[in-house]
Amino acid sequence: MFLEMKQISKEFGPVKALTDVSFSVGPGEIHGLLGENGAGKTTLMNVLSGTFPPTSGEIFIDGKKMEHMTPRKSTMLGIRFIHQELNLCNDLTVYENMYLGEEILRNGCLINKKEMARRAQEVLDGMNVKINAVSVVSQLDQAQKQLVEIAKALLFRSELIIMDEPTTALNNHEIENLFEIMRALKQQGVSFIYISHKMPELFAVCDKYTVLRDGMFIQSGHFAEIDEHGATELLIGKAFVDANLKDDSCSPADTEVVLSVRGLTGKTFHDVSFELHRGEVIAVTGLQGAGSAELAEALFGASASTGEIVLNGRRLKPVTIRNAMRSGIAMVPCNRKERGIFPDLSIQNNHSMAGFVIRKGMAVHEKVERQSFEGNRKKLEIKVDSPKDPITSLSGGNQQKVIVGRWLETDADVFIMDNPTQGIDVGAKYQIYKLIVELARQGKSILVFSTEFPEIWHIADRCIVMYKGRVNGDIPRSSLTEVSMMAYSTGSNLEVRR
Amino acid sequence: MNKLELSKESMSLRWRNITTNYSHWLSFILLMIVAVCVNPSFLSWNNLTNQFVQGAIIGICAMGMSLVITAGMIDLSTGSTVAIISGLSVYVLNATKSILLTMLFCLAMGLALGAVNGLLVTKGNIAPFIVTLATMSAYRSIINQLGQGGPFTVSSEMYESFRMVAAGKTLGFPNLLLFFVMITVITSLLMNHVKFGRYVYAVGSNELSARLSGINVDRVKFLIFSYAGLLSGLSAFLLASRLTAIQAASAGDGYEMDAIAAVAIGGTSMSGGKGKIIGTFLGVLMLRIINTVLIMANVPPFLNGLVRGIIIIIAVLAQSKKKNK
Repeated sequence: MFLEMKQISKEFGPVKALTDVSFSVGPGEIHGLLGENGAGKTTLMNVLSGTFPPTSGEIFIDGKKMEHMTPRKSTMLGIRFIHQELNLCNDLTVYENMYLGEEILRNGCLINKKEMARRAQEVLDGMNVKINAVSVVSQLDQAQKQLVEIAKALLFRSELIIMDEPTTALNNHEIENLFEIMRALKQQGVSFIYISHKMPELFAVCDKYTVLRDGMFIQSGHFAEIDEHGATELLIGKAFVDANLKDDSCSPADTEVVLSVRGLTGKTFHDVSFELHRGEVIAVTGLQGAGSAELAEALFGASASTGEIVLNGRRLKPVTIRNAMRSGIAMVPCNRKERGIFPDLSIQNNHSMAGFVIRKGMAVHEKVERQSFEGNRKKLEIKVDSPKDPITSLSGGNQQKVIVGRWLETDADVFIMDNPTQGIDVGAKYQIYKLIVELARQGKSILVFSTEFPEIWHIADRCIVMYKGRVNGDIPRSSLTEVSMMAYSTGSNLEVRR
Repeated sequence: MNKLELSKESMSLRWRNITTNYSHWLSFILLMIVAVCVNPSFLSWNNLTNQFVQGAIIGICAMGMSLVITAGMIDLSTGSTVAIISGLSVYVLNATKSILLTMLFCLAMGLALGAVNGLLVTKGNIAPFIVTLATMSAYRSIINQLGQGGPFTVSSEMYESFRMVAAGKTLGFPNLLLFFVMITVITSLLMNHVKFGRYVYAVGSNELSARLSGINVDRVKFLIFSYAGLLSGLSAFLLASRLTAIQAASAGDGYEMDAIAAVAIGGTSMSGGKGKIIGTFLGVLMLRIINTVLIMANVPPFLNGLVRGIIIIIAVLAQSKKKNK
């Protein structure tokens, strides 16, 4: 298949997700689509697969102009989309999920379960993974679910397979397996669009690259012609790579311990212990399903755990959100849209919510509310028309700054930031990094949960890496590299020792 | 040029905000005009106060319903709660001979029954629709059993003084009107100037965000149902005073539906997070005015419900249109 997308633009209300992006993929080509979170990669792919129409622009497939693309139409054309979020129904079996919406029928109406299970198993075996096609999806772990998602795309003959971060939960062995399959299919003329944040993977499997930044086309070319440093520069901008946010001379490890976690165990993580010093920024990372996401919640009291959380020498007991907030822990949650904002409330009211909970008294003082917002508006450079506009009128970056401001109001000692730059533009990202470093300088301690290496590298004093629910590595800044981080998060350091 | 376009965009956004935020005033004024056109005497003092008096008892319930719906929940038990409390209040009145004690009983009982709803929703973790469906049926059944088909009648010695609570006037204003306005003002203050009110909006807008902002979502829900119950208790007290004879099977029948209708017409989003108390206030009046207009226009009374149904749909459609734009 020869795909060409010309001058694609997409607007969501006031937000411009894509501006005049052109992109093409030839037959038998593995094309790496690069860009930070919020750069517009997923939006571009959604336009291609017909999830929503572009505001303007044209799509050509094998030279033919495509009008009114729908998901059904793109499937008929042989385009398969492996989504970033796992779209599996937990209560159905593996093969039922794989055939969802495209069931094999017997006599034109009854579902042919036997045939479906047989073919699904064939594909899974071909991928060299040990998954039973008749097992229920809820029994699988994250990595297996991701593999099922991939198998789904291989079930039918396809021309172009879009993979949106397919390896976030896979270990090195599974990734290598996937690459083998991709190379074999490539020989048969199948094209791939491969979206990933992991540079080593992109360089290992892709032929060409296209870089997007803030919804705009930046550059396209062959991977053979650039190196990792060059790619990172394209990705986040030269000025940004060179910017040295972190003053390497400061070593906060000898300041006093603010937060100490001992033997914390929750549903998906076990026996986690670490100490956070005053003015220190620790990044916590791990593959999907490694337990780091749940750890963030547990530290804030949002999900149940056993073990000790000691803050400023006093044990947090019981570990509830309110208790955590009162003793000086704040959390900027991940997934802003679902867990952060109040879509019906104004910017100012969104901003003041956590401060209300902390402060004593029953009354709402509009004036205090306005002043506190004004203070943070300047500090965080939040771009707003009127603080009374609905928060949904803001771009993702500005929304996130409002949420960060919400927590600054609580005057906490420890800030937990769970994916704080998810879905925001590079400029806003940079400001949030600056803020994190600045907070640390003021003596606040920060735990950043992130999976993006450039982000971690920019801000972290050290990096705790989780693997299968346990702390697998604690890398100081001096030896922090993408390779070492990946080694700990995929557990390959353990294999060597064995 | 870019800047010009931007300001134009924000202008239209602001205009849209205005029309969305004040749509209930707009429809209220429209309806008033229609009413005056049908019958110019609509604007007489007597008729206007009468609209308030007719709407007050349901209106007070609607204030509680407004909170419940703003928080993204529903309360179907309002009518039955009113029925059981008003029935029992007649017992209490006849036994104690004290209007004050009767009122306190009604408020306490309302608070308790609301708290039961709240507890089942929060501690029992059952959907509000199901909880209040169950209590609706249970409360009505209890009062039917106690009444055994006959009415609860206020004894003749208390009749006149008790009747004057609802029928009387203070400073020239009907008491019912004053009660209704007072509760509206209190609820409005609660929603706009007390933290609790903000939490109600927060829970209705995004429960998960609310929890992660440190709001005790369960406590907020519990308090909302308790408040709604308290207002149902007051409503029941006024109903008993107005009727002086409570029919177990029909007292308060359909109040929850009228209250929900008033809240919806008043511009409160059924999915929660959005809505104004003044909107519900106008919604209650609009329902009354519609009734009056239909009577004045000689529409057969059986068709009343049809017209109301159509108006509710139009009102809610108009809101959702604006939202989608």
